Amino acid sequence: MADLVLPPGIDSTKLAAIKRAFAAAVGAANVFFDELDRDSYSDKFAIDDAHHHPLGAVAPISVEEIQAIVRIAGQYRVPLWPISRGKNLGYGGSAPMLAGSVVLDLSRMKKIEMDEENGTVLLEPGVGFYDLYDYLKARGLKYWLSVPGNSWGSVMGNALDRGVGYTPYGDHTSKICGMEVVLADGGFIRTGMGALTNAPTWQLYRYGFGPAWDQMFVQSNFGIVTKMGLWLMPEPESMMGMDVELDSPDDLAPLIDTLGPLRREGLLQQSPTIGNWLRAAAILTTRAEWTDKPGALSDDVIAAIRKKFGMGWWGVSLRLYGREGVNKAAYTVLEQAMAALKPMSLKPTTWLRGQPIEPTGWTGTPLTFPMQNANWHGGRGGHVGFSPILPQSGRRALDQFHRTYARYKEFGMDYQASFAFGERHLINVNAVLLNKDDPALMKRVDPFLRTLIADAKAQGYGEYRTHLDYMDTVAGTYDFNGAALHRLNEKVKTALDPAGIIAPGKSGIWPASLAGRRGK
Amino acid sequence: MRVWPILLGLAGSAAALAQVAPHKPAVPGTPLDGKGLFQEKCGMCHGPTGMGTGLLKRRVQPAMLEQRTDLAADYVVAAARTGIGNMPAIPRGEVSDPQLNAIAAYLAAGKAPAK
Repeated sequence: MADLVLPPGIDSTKLAAIKRAFAAAVGAANVFFDELDRDSYSDKFAIDDAHHHPLGAVAPISVEEIQAIVRIAGQYRVPLWPISRGKNLGYGGSAPMLAGSVVLDLSRMKKIEMDEENGTVLLEPGVGFYDLYDYLKARGLKYWLSVPGNSWGSVMGNALDRGVGYTPYGDHTSKICGMEVVLADGGFIRTGMGALTNAPTWQLYRYGFGPAWDQMFVQSNFGIVTKMGLWLMPEPESMMGMDVELDSPDDLAPLIDTLGPLRREGLLQQSPTIGNWLRAAAILTTRAEWTDKPGALSDDVIAAIRKKFGMGWWGVSLRLYGREGVNKAAYTVLEQAMAALKPMSLKPTTWLRGQPIEPTGWTGTPLTFPMQNANWHGGRGGHVGFSPILPQSGRRALDQFHRTYARYKEFGMDYQASFAFGERHLINVNAVLLNKDDPALMKRVDPFLRTLIADAKAQGYGEYRTHLDYMDTVAGTYDFNGAALHRLNEKVKTALDPAGIIAPGKSGIWPASLAGRRGK
Repeated sequence: MRVWPILLGLAGSAAALAQVAPHKPAVPGTPLDGKGLFQEKCGMCHGPTGMGTGLLKRRVQPAMLEQRTDLAADYVVAAARTGIGNMPAIPRGEVSDPQLNAIAAYLAAGKAPAK
């Protein structure tokens, strides 16, 4: 069970007063400070269950209630940890960076406003991918979502943490247009054109006049985003593509060097993800069905699993979206390029508006079954990610793969990885599959991840996103000119939120008053 | 992500996902709609192609909670609040106590009489 951890300067008398004040602001039914609540808001996939315990949680329903909570938090100097739906499971879920923080649970805030003509939505934090999907379907609106592999979470929360999907709108952060944000002093702002009263262009033009602040509130702790504009993709007339399997680990390099130019040229507007065999197999089967030997899987076991499911060492699904005639022309180019790689299989797929649609990430259909990989080891499972950003270079990606795979073997871990294309970069997402019922394995996870972070840093690579345990460490790798950017972030944090009311420690950013908590 | 076609081929009922009716919020003062709440709060994992159904299928039949006849309301509440197996705990801010009780009553309504 999660121990009661009080934040700095809070004793039991103050805690009682805080709970009373929160109850007066949002109603006692929305204030959660029981032991069971502390457990249910803790990190479900924690590497070490001793860390990141919340003090409790409070769940407002409106901006006014959030402002009231922020003022109470400022009065008592109790830190808040805002969550949208708290399903960022591989990165800490609903748990706070600083133990003793109060989770500000925004999952009850589920308003959706849609501009049907322009294909934009204005969302509150609690709107999940399934909520928005149902909203569009119920109204017959011809727009598609872009969803992450686990679509249980919040649309806003995912975009604010730079989550990705599989359609041409898959870089979710880039589709944000306009925010409403509550600041640590209880005031609130609207960004972009929203700063102009009654502007009909808040969700249409990102920048407004002067500095554009939307990205300032992404992966940060400078404010609490209470509304976010987002662009949706119009339903295409046609979708065509192929699922490609490649046999050898070394096929990664030519595959990347083939897809990169097509992505940069714009023939491929979707951002494909190259996944290794375990990324698929961990969903379909369990380790115990194949071996009882500890340590990294042997080549003969890998070969047997791949044979059973007809998987390549690497696989990639490519999709084209838009007018049928354009897609047919682009498909010919894509097919020739892929055939030149001599894949072990290439399965074409095609869809026209009006036909039954494949319920997958490529059509923006929310799904949760990819999380079945939490059962790979059979025990209480989970996963933690290690995700450095690489250039779109086959040689560099292959070197990174060999380096990382060797570390997986050294630490006795089963290698699950993907290389996800952006417009100019790759995200190398490595999943470490956990088994909380295997203490020996769990003991290896932390040194393994720290080794991977150091290896990447030695190559000049840094992560785009990380678990709570590594936020300070990863922030420390961004060290150019004496960590000048990090010092700027903390200067801004200290100016906006000197007491550290909003998510202290998020992304390694601490106000001066809590600098002593760094790395603890 | 080529696992999707592979897994959907095994699941065989993926299209049902899109047929889940959107939940309508309850009017204050009226009894909570356990079935609607189940679809809204639990359907993503315990629908035909969800993670929960996929993992339960490895251990118990039927895997769909709505088809089970052995679920007691107290058990449903405890499983949701504390988490079970690979299912994370569901906090009260996400599903309130009255909502969870309504969901549990709906799932327990299919419980077979004691022999």
